[in-house]
Parts: sequence; C-alpha cells; structure tokens
Amino acid sequence: MRKSRGLSTTQIVGIVVVIVIILAAAAFMMRGGEEAQTPAEETTPTGQTPAQTTPTQAEQTPTPAQETREKVKIVFASTQLAPVEEAAFVKNQLLPPFTDETGIEVEFVPISYEDLSTKLEGEIRAGKVSIDVIGDLHGGLDFFASKGWLMDLSQFGALPDRSFPKILEDYSNLYGIKAYVPWMTATYVFVVNKEAFNYLPPGLTQEDVMTGTDKWTYQALLDWAKSIEEATGKKALGFPAGPKGLFHRFLHGYLYPSFTGAQVKNFDSQDAVAMWQYLTDLWQYVNPASTTWDAMADPLLRGDVLIAWDHTARIKSAITTEPDKFVVVPAPAGPQGRGYILVIAGLAIPKGAPNPEAAWKLIEYLTRPETQVMVLRNVGFFPSVNEASGKITEGPLKVLADGVANQLNAPDSIVALIPSLGARGGEFSQTYRTAFELIVLEGNSPGEVLPQLATQLNRLFEETGAKLPPPDSQ
Amino acid sequence: MRLKINRAYLLIAPAFAYMGFFVAYPLVEAVYLAFFEGGSPTWANIDYLLNSPFSKFYDALKYTLIITAIVIPVETFLALLVAVLLYNKFRGRDALLYLVIVPLTISDVAAGLIWYSILTSNGFMNNLLISLGVISDPIQVFGSGFTSRMLIAIALAEIWRSMAIVFVILFAGLQLVSRDMIEAAEVFGAGWREKLFKIILPMIKPSLQSALLIRTLFAFQIFGVVWILAGRNIPVLAGEAYYELTELKHYGVAALYALIIAGISLSLGAVYVRTLRASHLEVER
Repeated sequence: MRKSRGLSTTQIVGIVVVIVIILAAAAFMMRGGEEAQTPAEETTPTGQTPAQTTPTQAEQTPTPAQETREKVKIVFASTQLAPVEEAAFVKNQLLPPFTDETGIEVEFVPISYEDLSTKLEGEIRAGKVSIDVIGDLHGGLDFFASKGWLMDLSQFGALPDRSFPKILEDYSNLYGIKAYVPWMTATYVFVVNKEAFNYLPPGLTQEDVMTGTDKWTYQALLDWAKSIEEATGKKALGFPAGPKGLFHRFLHGYLYPSFTGAQVKNFDSQDAVAMWQYLTDLWQYVNPASTTWDAMADPLLRGDVLIAWDHTARIKSAITTEPDKFVVVPAPAGPQGRGYILVIAGLAIPKGAPNPEAAWKLIEYLTRPETQVMVLRNVGFFPSVNEASGKITEGPLKVLADGVANQLNAPDSIVALIPSLGARGGEFSQTYRTAFELIVLEGNSPGEVLPQLATQLNRLFEETGAKLPPPDSQ
Repeated sequence: MRLKINRAYLLIAPAFAYMGFFVAYPLVEAVYLAFFEGGSPTWANIDYLLNSPFSKFYDALKYTLIITAIVIPVETFLALLVAVLLYNKFRGRDALLYLVIVPLTISDVAAGLIWYSILTSNGFMNNLLISLGVISDPIQVFGSGFTSRMLIAIALAEIWRSMAIVFVILFAGLQLVSRDMIEAAEVFGAGWREKLFKIILPMIKPSLQSALLIRTLFAFQIFGVVWILAGRNIPVLAGEAYYELTELKHYGVAALYALIIAGISLSLGAVYVRTLRASHLEVER
C-alpha cells in the first residue's frame, strides 16, 4: 500500500530525463537567442551603462597625432532621449546621417542627471574630460554653467540658416556666456475633442479657445465643463492625477503662476487660497477616475473625457490615432496671466572637451530644422528653431505644433520652468500633490494645509541650494 | 553517524547559500537602509512614516488588512467549494477544471487591466447594463470618492485571479482522500455534512494550511491589481514601498515598508503553522 504511493525507479528516471531535456532545451535556446541578438547590438553600440563606457572612452580618446590617422569619435552624454525606445531612435536614425556626412562617429550615452553631474564634476577636477557634447534640461545646464564647467559657445559664431525664439535665446545665455544651444522643447497642453465645442458657454467662442484670447480663462473652462455636464450628464474634464501621472506639473506650473504669479514664492498666499477654492469648484466637473489615470491619450480615445490636459508626448498618440477628432489648445489664463511650463533641453560643450570642433558640428546638425522635425515625428519633442515649423506638413503633427505655437505666442504668457532638484524633485512634486489630496479630495481648509506644506517646500530649496525657477526668480 | 551529519550539511548547503544570498543579505541591507543614515542610527524614516503629510502608512496598513480580510476567506471558501464539486465525476468536469485554472496563467497587472476594462464607465459591464435597460447612466467605479466600489473591484479581481492557486492546492489535497473512506462513511449512513466535516476537511488540512499560508503571505504583497484599479486612491503597503522608492527616492522609507511587510508575513506564518498543524502530526509527538 505504502509502496504504491511512492514513485517507482522507472518514474524517477523518467522525471530526471525530462528535467535534463528541459534544461538542455533552455540552454540551447539561450545560445540561439544570444546569436540572434549580436547583430542588433552591433548597430546600437551603447547598450553599456555609462559607468562602463567612460573609462574605455577616456582610454580611447585619441591624441592629436592619432586624430589625423583615425576617425574622430565623440561622446554625446544626454539626460534626454534616454528611455530605451528613444535611445534606439537616436542611435539608429538620428545619428547615422551625421556620421555619413562628416565622418565623425558619435557615441550616444544616455545618463541620469545625477550621474552626469557627478561624472562631469569628477572629470573637470581631474582635468581629463571625456564628454564632448552634453544634452540636458535648462535647470541642469544652468547649474553646470554656474560652476564654470561649460564652454562659451559664442566663440563658434552663429549657426547658419536658423533662428531661435527670443525666450529660448534669453534663457541660454547664463552667467555671462552662451552656455548652451536650445535643442528641443516640450510642454503640456489641453486637448479638446471637437464635440466639446457644441457645448461652449455663452460669450466663449471656438476661436477664443483655439488661439488663447483673453476670454479663454480658467473661469471659462469651469463654465464650459459645467455646461457640458448640464447638457450631457458627463464629467468631461480629465487630468492625469494617477500615481505616475504628471498632474503636479499642472498645479505648480499652470495654476500657481496663473493665479499667484509664481510657482513657489506664493505657495500659501491669499491668491493661492483662492486658487485652491477654484480647483475645488472645478473638480465637481472633473471625471473622478482622473485620480487613476497616468496619461490622457486613452481616456480621450475611449471618450471618457472631452477636454484633457497632459504632456505633449503623452497625449500625442490620441492625436495621431484620430487627428480629425481633436485639437490642441493653449492653456487658459488666470488672474495673473497664462502660466505654462516650457521644458527646454539644450546642447552644451564642457570645458576641456576632447573634440570641441567635432562637438560643434554635432550641435549644428542637431539644430537643423529638418533634424528637429525628425525628432518631433519620432519622439514628440518640439523644435527649438523657428524655421522647423515651416517643415511640418499637414496632419496630426501640425495639430500638435499649432497648439504649442499658440501657447508660446500668447501675449499674456508666464513661462514656468521646472526646478532642478535632482533626486529630490519627487518631493517637490509630492508637495503639490499632497496639497491637492488634502484640500480638494479630502475637503481640508487651504488655510490649514498650505502653511505646513510651505515650510516643507522652502526647506527643500534651502537644503538643496537650488535656485527658485522662473517666474519666481524674475 | 558523523559522516551522515556531514553529508546532511553538505546537502542543504546550496539551499543555505541561496537563502543567504537572496534573503538574508537583502534583509540586512534593508535594515541598514531603514535605520541608518551615513553610518549612524536614525529615526528619521520612522518619523516620516508616521508623521509626514506625504506618508500614507496608516491608510496603506488599513487597506492591506481590509483587502486581505475580504479576499482570503472568500477565495478559500470558493476554492474549497469548487474543489469538492470537481471531486465528483460528471460530464464536462475536465472542461470546468481548465476554466477554473485559467486565471493562474495571468499576471496580476494583466488581471487588473482586464477588470479595469470590464468595470470602467465605458466598459463591458456598464455597456451591458445600459443595453439591457437596467441603468441609464454608467456606474462610476474608479476614482477618489468611490473607495468602497474600488475595494469591491479589487476584491473581485484578486479573488478571480488567485482563487485558482488555492483551488489547485486543495484539489491536489483532495486526491489523497481515499474514496474507500467516503464509501465506508456512506455505508454507515453519513450525510454530506458528516462527510465534509468528519472526513474531507480533516484529511485536507495540510493542503489547506499550505494554501492559506501561501495566499496570506502574497496578500500582504498585493500591488499590481490595486495599482492598476485604484492607483494611490487605495494605498497598500507594497504600493507605498514602490511609490516611495521610485517617485520620491526615499530609499529608507521604502526599506521600512519592506521590513513591515516581512514582519507581518512572518508573524502570520507562525500563527498559521501553530494553529493549523495537522492532527496526525500531533499524534506522532
């Protein structure tokens, strides 16, 4: 009886044989997989981590004598376009035409801001810089320039056949030098399902909304959402207020500047209290599922909402899927003006870069209008040169680009930049999100919530030594 | 004898090495992250956990317990019911068996997405109810202010997904219940109640113990389903650990959450092992 329950010798041998076969098959498949992967890795040489790349690169940096014989290779370290898909675009599509044209090979190194900052500081101190071109956000480049780590790019002269919007030109001149060349921009916009225009409140026209006239205000947005709910029973407004959504950017970069004129300085002012009161009122017409949404493209396409705000890159797929259904409109204005966030990425050359001339050639290539349109088409970052807009033909990208241009050109705009707090940027965002949860969702009084959070916010800037971002710093 | 002991150590050495590297070492690191900063002990992380306006610790603990308390009993009961039902042979039994096990092959995030698309305001459920004329406006399930609805949705998804594993364990246990015993009981006139409580349940107690142990430990790590369905509207311990780590870069606080989950799991495991010890093992002592 007992024996029959146990496994017989034959069965045990059978099981062992099966296991061996499975392991052998797995090992064989892994080998096959590796072989299949090798060619792909050759085309994308920087699968390595930055830490691995640096020493080899530093070792390989050719001496001037070698340079004449060997191909020039430069290192392009960037905190932007670092996600895998975007990096693949850079390596496979963006850079090869440049190498074909100039013979300069570019090693693209996606890197985090913290790593870039540490690496650059170490290299500058050691007097042995391996990076030729830095691609980073304005905040980071501002910090590098303040430390004196960046070359003055005015020595290279002006770039031919292109002009930059004044606002970008102004920001890129830092601490008395031309610190960087504006490379790409991104922003956050409202996307409107054209159906919503059927329910415009009295006194507001489609033209007002599309071009951002002084009638397109936050009060008008509330009236509009209210009018849609009265007509359709639908809470038609949506925000990406889920845990991975970017709703905090709306709070600190759109509402705060529009209502208080600043992102941080007036955090617990009377204007801020009024702003939170407004948001509480507005929230009656916001789809309650907003607090579970991380990106607005799907809710827009599903028809859950008719008006939504989000980052251009996160909303792009809604417009490319159904370009005839949606329009992109500028942000509404508040009592102080039309606050919006402009994300500026720039290209800089560190002092002591091994190949500054080749680096400048890369910068020239990356800021050509047609290169910039290629970037917009593939990864959704907007051009930094005026001439690029002429190269965008009809279609979904035009819808996006027009909306962004309308926002940039609105006369009452207040540009907000995201502060560069490094690893503690999450705490900055969380301060606004917590205020939102406590005041709007849980119904606490702004007068009680804001002072406590303001202390925390100020401490964050004191402890990190970060500068207050525009418009606060202006 | 000596040789035997040596060989025993040798045999368990790989397991020890594995546990040491993958369990003990990370645990020590987690303790260090949670209670030390720059080499000296600190209470800052505990203070943050309990007092910071950012921290959702109390809610996370509350909801994790609530979800566990709903999900575990319901799914164990259902799994037992289905297992006993499928213990009898009938037409279509095999097909039903496969159907019950299907959710086992689905990841928690996928399960969350499936239930999200069923229950969202433009989802299958609302469309069905509207087309049947039961309701005129869609039922809103997700979002702040709908806590109890979201809890029901989470419980549904989690029960659907994880009932299968409990079922598999109980069903395997049931195979050990000899049909002779059941038949003998029937000869003596036992009804279904006697058969269930006097024979089946005592016999499958070890399986029940394993199932409960595994499921309760996993229930405290619940994350994917909640994250998809409710975001941080319903915070849970594992979700807060993830959020503190990835969004706020509070490594110490995340480690503290991990330790709390480990602590709860260990103590509950101990309770289960004590209270559900199979009776025949006790006889042997």
